[in-house]
Amino acid sequence: MKRVATIILNRNLPLETERLYESIRKHNGDCTDIFVVESGSEEAKLSKYCTWWANWEESLAHGLRFPRGFNYGLHQLFSKPQENNYEFYFLICNDAEVPEQPFLKTLVEIMDEHARVGILSPCSADWGEINLLREKDVRYFWYVNHIAWLIRRTYVDCVRELDSPSYMNFLYDGENLRGYESEIELITKGYINDWATAITSRVRVQENKSHLLAKADLIRTEPYEESLVKCLVEGKKWMRRKYGFNSRWAMQMYAKLFYEKFFEFHPYLEGNRID
Amino acid sequence: MLAQKLERFYRARRVTLLGVGPMSRNCVDAAIELANEHETPVMLIASRRQVECSEMGGGYVNNWSTEKFAEYVTRHDKKGQVILARDHGGPWQSPEEVREAYSLRMAMESAKRSYSVDIACGFQIVHVDPSIDINGKPSATEVLDRVFELYEYCWEEARQNRREILFEIGTEEQSGSTDSVESLDQTLREVTQFCQRNRLPPPTFIVVQTGTKVVEMRNVGSLDSPFRIAGELAPEIQLPRIMSLCRKYKIFMKEHNTDYLSDETLSWHPKLGIHAANVAPEFGVAETKAFVQLLNENGLRKYSEQFLSLAYDSMKWEKWLGPDSAAGDQERALMCGHYVFSHPVFLELKSAAVKELQGKVDVDLYLKNKVKASIFRYLIHFGWVKAI
Repeated sequence: MKRVATIILNRNLPLETERLYESIRKHNGDCTDIFVVESGSEEAKLSKYCTWWANWEESLAHGLRFPRGFNYGLHQLFSKPQENNYEFYFLICNDAEVPEQPFLKTLVEIMDEHARVGILSPCSADWGEINLLREKDVRYFWYVNHIAWLIRRTYVDCVRELDSPSYMNFLYDGENLRGYESEIELITKGYINDWATAITSRVRVQENKSHLLAKADLIRTEPYEESLVKCLVEGKKWMRRKYGFNSRWAMQMYAKLFYEKFFEFHPYLEGNRID
Repeated sequence: MLAQKLERFYRARRVTLLGVGPMSRNCVDAAIELANEHETPVMLIASRRQVECSEMGGGYVNNWSTEKFAEYVTRHDKKGQVILARDHGGPWQSPEEVREAYSLRMAMESAKRSYSVDIACGFQIVHVDPSIDINGKPSATEVLDRVFELYEYCWEEARQNRREILFEIGTEEQSGSTDSVESLDQTLREVTQFCQRNRLPPPTFIVVQTGTKVVEMRNVGSLDSPFRIAGELAPEIQLPRIMSLCRKYKIFMKEHNTDYLSDETLSWHPKLGIHAANVAPEFGVAETKAFVQLLNENGLRKYSEQFLSLAYDSMKWEKWLGPDSAAGDQERALMCGHYVFSHPVFLELKSAAVKELQGKVDVDLYLKNKVKASIFRYLIHFGWVKAI
């Protein structure tokens, strides 16, 4: 049994998705099974590796975006417990660029070294965090964007929806469609439950924004700038409704609070702090 | 006294001290009035371009020399709420020193003479900033050596004049991104060692790069950006790290280029522990826009056009222009109207406009109130005044 389940999220970009699928399979196929969620793709634009197709009306109209899309994939996997014996889930969007060499093994090794890490993100070359990872290549953070995350199953079991799981709530809160600050919520849930979130520079991934900038019409999404505005407006409404937070800073400080508490309860992990 | 007062403020509640750039007489009056009306300390942070000692010909703001400016503020600040502060003191911070291509020694001597007058006139905070060098970017060691020389000089001047001064140090120009904690740590360590070695008081403020940068009439730094900026460490991560470093060295953190930040970000300044923040061009632009609007609304477009063309021709907008700017001539003029407030042509056209508006609008009262509204936004968000 392979230890990792990779879930690739696609919407209407079959070639890019297939390229990513094949690259991961070629270099990491020995340690991962790969699943593709078609997040409201048109039938003609399904990837040949499609595993699950979210093809209901709303999904076709708006796509699932990453929170609902990964929820959908994870929910499908968890619906068949006998086939879901994975220890880790690698959740990656099709606009991510991954190393053309084995990297999942490295990520899993880091997870094995850091037993209290629930979420592990490779560092992107254009993140300033890279400067904090020069001397020590794995550190714990309270703020990380989701490009490609390796998530530990025990963390997922700890925070996932149990009563009525669906693509709306399995892990991410699907009410926040485009997911502005949704990552912070998962990170905070982690720290509250004794699970840290780490970034490593041992593996690099990068978001290829050119897909959103140049292929928005193909993906059948809004132009990039419009998408950012919607993402922000929806995200702020969501934060206000759910937490009564009026600012992203409130969400950040909320996460930071539990980050600090985590080290009070796990002082032996102090060396992984970023300050 | 001032040091204890600041300690007391920060102990009592989380506030951010506002530094107001004295962009015009109306701006200075607005700051003094607000500070006195709300019994709130406000710093007036004069750069050497704005206000300079008489021996060096004064500054562009109201043609004030340091002596006259200090006398004016002291006379009008009835409750003693205004703190006179020198912003960006140091070599080549005066246009004369650049224009005449002063040598290092001349520029340092000139900076010292300027500080002497500041201290004698009652400036209580001096920003020691030797980051400019017309001969090329100085190394970190060179910058620190210059900081130490000026620091020691100012302290000795204050001692001889029996004045209390506080030091603000800042050794880098604002870039819009955040500081490297490691380099900040090194600067603070060296400054602390220098102060201990020479039995000097440690600096009160350190200027840190929080991710603010003013371009044209907006703030384009990472602090106010709701999304990650490529290549930069998110300020959400960096600010708490810088704060904890400042706590370690028992120094207050000061932000520059705070202009035009959103209400949301400003209101988080006290909570994030930013002790002080400087705002300057925004207040000048507020007055410029108010004056242009007033003229246009009262059928005095001939004067507003004359003002805008004077401002445009000054070319002072060049300093604020962003790369590949789409700003038109009018916007460029609005960016820099305050630089010509003391120009004879402006004084003449303003006087003519005042005459035409007599009995209808008190022009300076109107302009001062507009600037007051602009400053007031900061006092609310910085925790000094409760929003009504």
